[in-house]
Amino acid sequence: MLSCRGLHKRYRTERGEIEALAGVDLDVAPGTFAAVIGRSGSGKSSLMAMIGGLSRPSDGTVGIDGTDLWGLSDDGLAEFRNRRIGFVFQFTSLLPTLRLVDNVALPALLGRRLGQRAAYERAAVLLDRVGLADYRAAYPAEVSAGEQRRAVIARALVNEPALLLADEPTADLDEQTEIEIMDELLAVNCELGTTLLLVTHNLALAEAAEQVVHIAGGRIVP
Amino acid sequence: MALGCGVVFAGTVLMRSIDRSMAVGFTRLGADLMVVPEGALTNITAALLVVEPTDLVLDAGLLDRAAIASLGRVAAQKVVRVAGSGVGGQFEAVDLVGFQPDRDFTVQPWLVERINRPLQPGDVILGAGRDGALGAQLLIFGRPHTIYGRLGRTGVGPHERGLFLPFASLEALAPAIAAAAGGRSPPALAPGKASGFLAELAPGASPLEARFALLSSVKGIKVVSGDSTLSGIRQGLSALLGGLLVLMALMVAGLALLVGVLFSAIVTERRGELGLLKAIGARRGQVLGMMVTEAMLVTGAGGVLGVGLGVLALRLFERALVRQLDAVGLPFAWIGPLDTALLGLAAIALAAAVGALGVFVPAWRASRRDVYDLVRGEG
Repeated sequence: MLSCRGLHKRYRTERGEIEALAGVDLDVAPGTFAAVIGRSGSGKSSLMAMIGGLSRPSDGTVGIDGTDLWGLSDDGLAEFRNRRIGFVFQFTSLLPTLRLVDNVALPALLGRRLGQRAAYERAAVLLDRVGLADYRAAYPAEVSAGEQRRAVIARALVNEPALLLADEPTADLDEQTEIEIMDELLAVNCELGTTLLLVTHNLALAEAAEQVVHIAGGRIVP
Repeated sequence: MALGCGVVFAGTVLMRSIDRSMAVGFTRLGADLMVVPEGALTNITAALLVVEPTDLVLDAGLLDRAAIASLGRVAAQKVVRVAGSGVGGQFEAVDLVGFQPDRDFTVQPWLVERINRPLQPGDVILGAGRDGALGAQLLIFGRPHTIYGRLGRTGVGPHERGLFLPFASLEALAPAIAAAAGGRSPPALAPGKASGFLAELAPGASPLEARFALLSSVKGIKVVSGDSTLSGIRQGLSALLGGLLVLMALMVAGLALLVGVLFSAIVTERRGELGLLKAIGARRGQVLGMMVTEAMLVTGAGGVLGVGLGVLALRLFERALVRQLDAVGLPFAWIGPLDTALLGLAAIALAAAVGALGVFVPAWRASRRDVYDLVRGEG
């Protein structure tokens, strides 16, 4: 389902060109929990950004269910991200001026696949699922970091994506909350069959993965 | 934005009101120049409002054909002094003044009362010294005319006791006037002829310059100048209002630039939010639309506040100056409430447009950035 071929990413800096990814080939089967691990600066976040349609590769292709992601138009890519990919970033990524329920419903409203009423009903169901039923009307600043991260997971699921990308989703959380968030992600993978690609530098988190990809110096290493 | 919008709104209302006051006040000062046939007698008054009755005539299209650049508006007049018209005393000489309603600028500004409709053929306007009810019939040489309006007191003799009619109405009286005068019709009543012209100077032109241009290009005329001080004030104020308009336009341009810089900073500050919206599926058009709508709402709200401040400023101006002007007999003609409301709406729309323009370029540039760079706040 996920197929990357010859992915390169080069950045121009004042000190010259830096190659963040130097020819990555990767296949992930549907419904798999895959972990991409590596040290800081190894290129794992760049890989996730290219797989998620967030950063254009310098070379190479990303295919998801047969669609060449970077062959799509700008609007086509936006629509693909909206319908097929869910994101959980390493930082709090909720809009602070919207309630949790608004934040969760937002991708559905942007995609216009669901009406407003249906989008909010689904957002409420997902908030219930992640244990935030009592916080629908709360603003992000009124809940804890772990609860914010759960709301982000709910938002990522609102359009029933085929692929869930989690980039260091527990980086700034305490140990107990980290376990809760990982449990939530694993439940999504197991119960909904959503492909989960977890980017982390924490080897312990990757232990539960069915497929582990090591990256070092912009290359996949054994 | 509120202050800028307030200045634009209050400034525009004031300028339009001053312009309107000038239109009433200064046109009442009469023409800058009077052009009459060479040899015609002229009675110089403080204000050039009507030409003198004379048997000498000029072609009514004479000055149009000459196209003198130093002249602004030009209006021809026909003036005949008649007796036995049936108006006033039996042997009273009455000045019948024919004017061009669409070009006239010395008669109609003096209307102090009139019927609530446009001037029509068959209407007559009374000088301030004549009696008659508005809408009543007045027989001139036995022909019925409707009293359309009355002029205010000017202190200029022919104006005070004259009867003012459109060219066509006066020409239609020619046979009756000729019959009363023993078969001779005054030459001025012939179609295409005029007793003289009243003219305004073009902005920046001097009376001397216009006089020289007229005398050098048109033969058989005499040029009479009015009060040069009044002409100077009129021209000066017109230039001042023009300058104020330019200043206001520059202020709006500066404000737009400032808003652009401000929104550029705001977009930079919010690039993480924009990146997030794009990451979860917002299209470029949606992101742009959101930013432009937000900016328009914010600056439009500033515009509403500014119009409120402008109304307060105008109130203060009215209390401070306009009432004092009224008290000394100098009327200040505010523009109507509808025009004021429209100007207020235009000022709010301008504020919203400035916001939309200010945010568009930075938002458009941000929307083209790599989404991942935006998400990380690096775009």
